[in-house]
Amino acid sequence: MPPSTDLLQGTLDLLILQTLAPGPMHGWGVAQRIQQISKDVLQIGQGSLYPALHRLEYKGWIRADWGNSDNNRRAKFYSLTRTGKKRLETELKTWERLSSAVALVLGRVPEASA
Amino acid sequence: MMNELLTRVRFFFSRRRPAELDEELQFHVEQATQANLAAGMTPHEARRQALVEFGGVERTRDQCHEERPGWWIGTVWQDARYALRGFRRNPVFTVAVIATLALGIGATTAVFSVVDRILFRALPYAHDDRLVSVGLTAPIIPQEFMLGGSYYDWRDNQKPFEAFTSETGVGECDLTERNPARLSCASVEANFLPTFGVSPILGRNFLPEEDRPNGPKVALISYALWDAHYGRDPAIVNKLVDIDGKQVRVIGVLPRDFEMPTLQAADVLVPQALDEAEQRKADPGRVMYAFARLKPGLTIAQAQAALEPVFNYSLSLAPPQFRKEVHLRVRSVRDRQVQDVRLVAWILLGAVLAVLLIACANVASLLLARAAARERELAVRSVLGASRGRLVRQTLTETLLLALAGAAAGSILAEILLRIFIAIAPAGIPFLAKAHLDLRIILFTVLLSLLCGTVFGVLPALQKPRPAALAARSMHSGAHAWLRRCLVVSQIAISMVLLTGAALLLRSFSNLAQQDMGLQTRGVLAVHIPLPGYRYTTNQKRMDFFLAAETALRRLPGVQTVAMSDSLPPGGTHGEQIYTNIAIAGKPRSTGGTGGMVAWRWVTPAYFSSLGIPIVRGQEFTEAQRTSTERFLILSSLLASRLFGNENPIGQRVQPVPNGPWYTVLGVTANAKNAGLTGGDEPEFYQLRRNFAEDWNSSAVLLLKTSLVPAAAAPWVRSQIAQIDPTVPVEIETLSQGVSKLADRPRFEAALLGFFASCGLLMAVIGLYGVIAFVATQRTQEIGVRMALGATRLDILRLIAGEGVRLILLGGILGLAAALALAHWLKSLLFNVGPHDPASYALVALLLALVALAATLIPARAAMKVEPVVALRYE
Repeated sequence: MPPSTDLLQGTLDLLILQTLAPGPMHGWGVAQRIQQISKDVLQIGQGSLYPALHRLEYKGWIRADWGNSDNNRRAKFYSLTRTGKKRLETELKTWERLSSAVALVLGRVPEASA
Repeated sequence: MMNELLTRVRFFFSRRRPAELDEELQFHVEQATQANLAAGMTPHEARRQALVEFGGVERTRDQCHEERPGWWIGTVWQDARYALRGFRRNPVFTVAVIATLALGIGATTAVFSVVDRILFRALPYAHDDRLVSVGLTAPIIPQEFMLGGSYYDWRDNQKPFEAFTSETGVGECDLTERNPARLSCASVEANFLPTFGVSPILGRNFLPEEDRPNGPKVALISYALWDAHYGRDPAIVNKLVDIDGKQVRVIGVLPRDFEMPTLQAADVLVPQALDEAEQRKADPGRVMYAFARLKPGLTIAQAQAALEPVFNYSLSLAPPQFRKEVHLRVRSVRDRQVQDVRLVAWILLGAVLAVLLIACANVASLLLARAAARERELAVRSVLGASRGRLVRQTLTETLLLALAGAAAGSILAEILLRIFIAIAPAGIPFLAKAHLDLRIILFTVLLSLLCGTVFGVLPALQKPRPAALAARSMHSGAHAWLRRCLVVSQIAISMVLLTGAALLLRSFSNLAQQDMGLQTRGVLAVHIPLPGYRYTTNQKRMDFFLAAETALRRLPGVQTVAMSDSLPPGGTHGEQIYTNIAIAGKPRSTGGTGGMVAWRWVTPAYFSSLGIPIVRGQEFTEAQRTSTERFLILSSLLASRLFGNENPIGQRVQPVPNGPWYTVLGVTANAKNAGLTGGDEPEFYQLRRNFAEDWNSSAVLLLKTSLVPAAAAPWVRSQIAQIDPTVPVEIETLSQGVSKLADRPRFEAALLGFFASCGLLMAVIGLYGVIAFVATQRTQEIGVRMALGATRLDILRLIAGEGVRLILLGGILGLAAALALAHWLKSLLFNVGPHDPASYALVALLLALVALAATLIPARAAMKVEPVVALRYE
């Protein structure tokens, strides 16, 4: 498994927060959703996923509750806390600023805005 | 922010069951299997694929665990246990490091605690940096002083000070109430305390009208006296007490930390009550000691310059022969207090810092050696997955543990050393009795040792262990060895400096102890009897007492002679006067300068035989002359040759003090030491103390020449004196003890510096031994190869010892250069030996070379005896 988390350290947290924004979800679901939405480009291995989820939980941005999955299996569901929601907003703003700045530098602005 | 912190705290305390994580991961695998099944795999294949995709669980588990707040605390504990196990496996290393640290921290802390008050700590006065002592210096009084005639002129006309005050010295006085006690009373001007920014904690300061002749009798008492004598009763204010038989009103209590700027003990402060008008007219007037507070922003040098006009005016009024020898002196109160102790304090501090440096170098050297030895272990741990941070943290934990242990041992050692200092220190080192361990200083030294430990302990761990280190037969890292050699060279150099200092002081001390003093102290007992002044009020009473004592002591068995004098050679105070005041009958009085000081004493005829001072010309005093109306004196050779040159002094008539009585010169004695052990000989004369009250205006000390041991004689002497007056205190010491006390300071200095130098040398030698032993072990295999190829054992010895010799030579030469450069600081402490005394330097170099060579030869010999076959198979 490529240790892509080094590169995506901050980004992974952002992706998880964004994925959890609509509602509670278990770890597997988070990984699947990210993979799905990114059209299989971003594959989050469990080795990065679970430490990240735990880290966010320890920070108090997300909350974990035991619940039942679709197939009635006991599973741990993660949901955003109030701090987490606020955090997501600021992280998103930062990301937008950063990515548009990177785009500017790379000279891809017209294409991106088109 | 707050939320986040609270969450962390919550998770820190709540333990999470590991099973929860396993269940979560299990669920993940199941979901993956489900997905694979949905994609059309067989159940077996679906599960296999899911597991393959999932990868290792252990690492995830660890990583999740590491995210937990407070996770690192567990690792610290783990590191600490690991370190302790390591220490137990390697006790020599551990003990060496802790002992070195303890010595460095202990010695530095103890010495700093002593010198802190002398050199650095603020004085217990407001604006202590602006307080100065002002006055004239002249040969007659060692400290700067003022005379009543000029003090008031200066006070009224000076520009640089915002306050100017004086005291007239501290004298003995007696508290003569129900609980009599001998006290010391200081006489001060009314504005004395305000100038120093001191206010009484109880009551008030003196009023101007109380500082006038025949003003109301008032006194301020010290906190100690208030505590000891009056049980800290606040009602003491306004009470009348009896001092020297007079009723005095206590108007206040001084603060607990109050001390006279001269550091003289003072239980009571009274107004000096000088008659200003009379003093202005008087010539020369009372001796006074002046203190002043500089205006803000003025330096001492500026103040001195600004005082020149009043000084020159006063000088113009002085007799011409004095003018050349009187100077103006303005210096800080601290300088006046610590005097020559300042230099000793700096030298001690320098020495102890040098010891601390050597100790730090030793710790660094030991840690480097350990790091080199552990390179392989670190490499293995690194390969097994320990991150570099983890390795650094491990090393840091070890260093911290060592430093803490060293600090604890050092603090205990510091307390012990400080007690020893106080016990062996001579009188006259200010503040020593009050010295106590300072927490700030312990903290400082601990931080310093931590710093050097950390730097040298962690540096090697910072480099990523090289894979080569895994191979057993690797060469060890060259950089460390180089660093360790540097450390050893500097240790040897610093030890060399310390050793030369100690050697010079030791030689100086032995010169001092072995010099010919011109008098015989063996078998002489000195009996001091300070008579209470309020009962022995007249010369007659004093004389009667001492004559009775003399007769009584002569009756004692085993006593050969009993003599009396008013002072004792070779040190201590004695009568002193200006040379040019001596007049010779039939000759013009000499002019031009004061001619320096001349010592004189009142003695009885047995004085010279008791002390073994030979008469070289003329005769001794006789018992019969004690009742003669004629006055006689005996000159020392030095004074005789100055006064009379080649003429015969016997029978000449001499007048020591202008308008005083005339004396007939009876004889000339050999010179005896009279200005302390280190001072040059002053010219001296002895006046015969006759049995007339007019000769008894001062106290006396009895000298017994006896074959008895002092312990046996003392009770007899006491019982004889008690029969005359049972209330007087009797102090008995042998004259040798008195002389030995004079050498206390040099002995103290030499002992301390010697102790530090030995500590330094010991540590340097341990460091050297460590390096050579290390090099030898490292090259065991090489030695084996060399021997297999035909090298003799002597070649091997040369190979290994050569390394040590190079280090010793380099360190020795550097140290010698530094010692030569620094030695002039010791100059004023040395007696009859120059700061560049070749013998001392040669001796130290020889000692250092011998000890260092021994430290080199032990491991080198071990290397020489290595069996080639064993060496080749080494590791």
